[in-house]
Amino acid sequence: MTSDKEAWDVVITPKRMWLGLNLKELRQYKDLIALMIRREFVSVYKQTIFGPLWFVFQPLMSTFLYMFVFGNIAQMGTDEIPQALFYFSGTMLWTFFATTLQKCSDTFINNAGLFGKVYFPRLTMPIAYVTNAFFTLLIQFAVMLVFYVYYLANGVQFSLSWWILTTPIYILQLALLGTGFGIMISALTTKYHDLRNLVSFGLSLLMYATPVVYPISSIPVRWKVLFQFNPVAPVIEMFRYSFFGKGSCNLKMWAYSLIVSVVVFLLGLMTFNHNEQTFIDVV
Amino acid sequence: MSTAVKVEHLSKEYRLGVIGNGSLWKDIQSWTAKLQGKPDPWTKINEESRIGKRERFWALKDINFEVQQGERLGIIGRNGAGKSTLLKILSQITAPTEGVVKMRGHVASLLEVGTGFHPEFTGRENIYLNGAILGMSKADIDRNFDEIVAFSEIEPEFIDTPVKRYSSGMYVRLAFAVAAHLNSEILIADEVLAVGDVKFQEKCLGKMKEVSEKQGRTILFVSHNIGAVRQLCQIGILLEHGAIVFSGSADEVATEYVKEIGC
Repeated sequence: MTSDKEAWDVVITPKRMWLGLNLKELRQYKDLIALMIRREFVSVYKQTIFGPLWFVFQPLMSTFLYMFVFGNIAQMGTDEIPQALFYFSGTMLWTFFATTLQKCSDTFINNAGLFGKVYFPRLTMPIAYVTNAFFTLLIQFAVMLVFYVYYLANGVQFSLSWWILTTPIYILQLALLGTGFGIMISALTTKYHDLRNLVSFGLSLLMYATPVVYPISSIPVRWKVLFQFNPVAPVIEMFRYSFFGKGSCNLKMWAYSLIVSVVVFLLGLMTFNHNEQTFIDVV
Repeated sequence: MSTAVKVEHLSKEYRLGVIGNGSLWKDIQSWTAKLQGKPDPWTKINEESRIGKRERFWALKDINFEVQQGERLGIIGRNGAGKSTLLKILSQITAPTEGVVKMRGHVASLLEVGTGFHPEFTGRENIYLNGAILGMSKADIDRNFDEIVAFSEIEPEFIDTPVKRYSSGMYVRLAFAVAAHLNSEILIADEVLAVGDVKFQEKCLGKMKEVSEKQGRTILFVSHNIGAVRQLCQIGILLEHGAIVFSGSADEVATEYVKEIGC
């Protein structure tokens, strides 16, 4: 007989974890994460004619539509930022956040078949989703720079600020918010599928509560209080301020949004950890 | 020889009934009542709590067994005996309600052939994807790639075609070929051989036996095919209504099972 004191590699107990990232385990599955990112990325354009161009069509079309509807018909201001740049940057960032949130919130439901048959760290999927959205964002960012150079060449002055250096923080914030809310909802939707309908509907409404198609400066003062609750709003405003030198730079709101991002992410991680082991019984 | 798998007092309970309309509302009501120290408003008459005895079901009850390293254990039993639940717990797909499982070595589970195959991807891409899902590293797959293709008996010119164009036989053979080359110390397999033709089944059984004997791998195997269990396994357990009713050598257990179902 062997003694019980020997080291076991795998111990399965009914206990459920709240907080904590098993980084060692995630590192073991790094090849899987890389392949999942590729799978997500490539499956967007497999068997399409335009291929990877699909990654930029969507924000471009939205930008043209917004220029027409909000810029020309509704005559809404853009803080004197060229319309194309204003709408494109907003859509690009919003899509990054919204896609991450939506994909992550479907983690358990979309992968029920896979999760029901084989074990791997469940966080692999949200990580793949957010990374995939990030690559899409990078491509779109490159397109934005093309617009940028075009306007520069046509004599438009941008007062670049040093805030441009904090761009990675804005992106990280959106990633934390999207993933955090997403995995939190994913843990809840396994039991209550209602939330799923709410997400796509809620996201499209929330876009209008975020300065995507209008600048914060165009909001009447008495409504501005409401904007303080939206953690995505200051990120988009700060991004525009950094690159175009116009718009609002409200550090208090940005600090608030930073704290919210971290808290949301940790809460999301907790609910996700707590549910990943038993979700298959209730999905 | 050391113990590879040790299962102690393992139990799994499921809640019966539907999680449907109003369950969120009911949950909130039950929960607020609990906070206020009032009785649960959804308690049925003559029941201690809302989730009473009738709504609960033990799929597994107090399972204990040990498997030594290099042994091949067959798990048999009728439908609903708890075989799949047991494998799901061992594979970490769902957590047990009570008890502990301890395992030594890397565990790979094969509860379905071709898990994670993406129809749009080619055979080559799917070998990598499927291998990674089952816990292989890219380097492992690189090393075994040619062997996997050879084992699957798929002509090399098909390997760069999306698997959605494969025949179902090719699909299954490719999937099993990946699984057969897993380098885990413990392999958990459920009914995977129910697919594929007889000749390929034989080949798979042979491969599993070979890796177990040569490399000292531990195998936990579930099947309704008594012949396959006899051929592959040395020891076995017979499950019935979530409990072990008989254990012994694979032959004895198979005989007992056949006697019990009366044919």
